Amino acid sequence: MSEVENKVVPVESEEKDYVEDGKNKLIVKCKFCGSKILDKKSAKYITLEKELPLMQQDNNRKEGEIQNESVNEFYHVENMYTFENIGFTHTVANCKYLSCADCDAGPVGYYDMETKHSYVAISRIVHA
Amino acid sequence: MAKTYDYLFKLLLIGDSGVGKTSILFRFSEDAFNISFISTIGIDFKIRTIDLDGKKVKLQIWDTAGQERFRTITTAYYRGSMGIMLVYDVTNEKSFENIKNWIRNIEENASADVEKMILGNKCDLEAKRQVSKERGEQLAVEYQIKFIETSAKDSLNVESAFYTLARDIKAKMEKKQEASNPAGARSGAHQIRANEQQRKPTSWLSRCSLL
Ligand SMILES: Nc1nc2c(ncn2[C@@H]2O[C@H](COP(=O)(O)OP(=O)(O)OP(=O)(O)O)[C@@H](O)[C@H]2O)c(=O)[nH]1
Ligand SMILES: [Mg+2]
Ligand SMILES: [Zn+2]
Repeated sequence: MSEVENKVVPVESEEKDYVEDGKNKLIVKCKFCGSKILDKKSAKYITLEKELPLMQQDNNRKEGEIQNESVNEFYHVENMYTFENIGFTHTVANCKYLSCADCDAGPVGYYDMETKHSYVAISRIVHA
Repeated sequence: MAKTYDYLFKLLLIGDSGVGKTSILFRFSEDAFNISFISTIGIDFKIRTIDLDGKKVKLQIWDTAGQERFRTITTAYYRGSMGIMLVYDVTNEKSFENIKNWIRNIEENASADVEKMILGNKCDLEAKRQVSKERGEQLAVEYQIKFIETSAKDSLNVESAFYTLARDIKAKMEKKQEASNPAGARSGAHQIRANEQQRKPTSWLSRCSLL
């Protein structure tokens, strides 16, 4: 039963240097242009598993194919007007993707049409 | 949770198909490397935060679907919007003539005090121009609406147009508030001065040059 050793241990949010009191300690910005997406301490840190289309799709991919990756660290935004600057795409399968309002890079996260909550993928933004 | 802003304005982009509404909302970018996925789905709306005379203002800017014609747009469509950008294409005479129809439609269906602005887009295409700037200005005077020529392609005047519309909505709201609560109102002279003062340009406003 040595499998236990391989089990992924969930990282405590307290260990993250960008999280404070369960929220984003720093300003959240676009990786590409620096546009301000969230003010500091405005969103909750959460972990959940979600497939998101890659920000940079391979140009040689098959037509119509979308390359995804699994993302598991997010900032949870309950009210969309909490965002400083953000774009919402048209709805795809009960969700809207979030994009940078200044350079349109994305998806930087998604918006759930049912709960009306937004989730910003931490791996796709920078802190400042 | 406490509100972290002073005003929230819902704005709508309206105009004939092809005038550039989506391009105004969506930033033209030569860097196909990162926008391809988002551009295929398209942007429904954007949220922008701007500073107007020390007030934090959130703009929610909506694109409208291309097939929509003024005949089919009714009250539900305009619900909640406080500002409307009427867009025509300076290289397309018909789109300019239709601005009158769009205005009539707004008058019939939108809230009476919705703030409007006319944008003559694609002003970078000088060789193909069909509508002179003077005609745009005349129309604006006729309807007492502000007017500016824009180029979504060169991101010319786009930001400043939204800034102007937001400023006008804010001024109207403050006037209303003052009318309903004159005791608590600040001196009018002070407000006019504050309104006229040009704010330091933000990144979003960097190429602003109002007519
Ligand atoms: N040169 C130039 N082309 C522009 C400009 N704005 C938009 N275009 C082009 O005009 C075409 C139509 O632009 P869209 O933004 O799709 O127009 P739209 O108003 O959203 O059209 P619908 O969605 O059909 O209502 C596109 O090919 C754009 O690239 C501009 O300022 N300058
Ligand atoms: Mg469009
Ligand atoms: Zn960006």
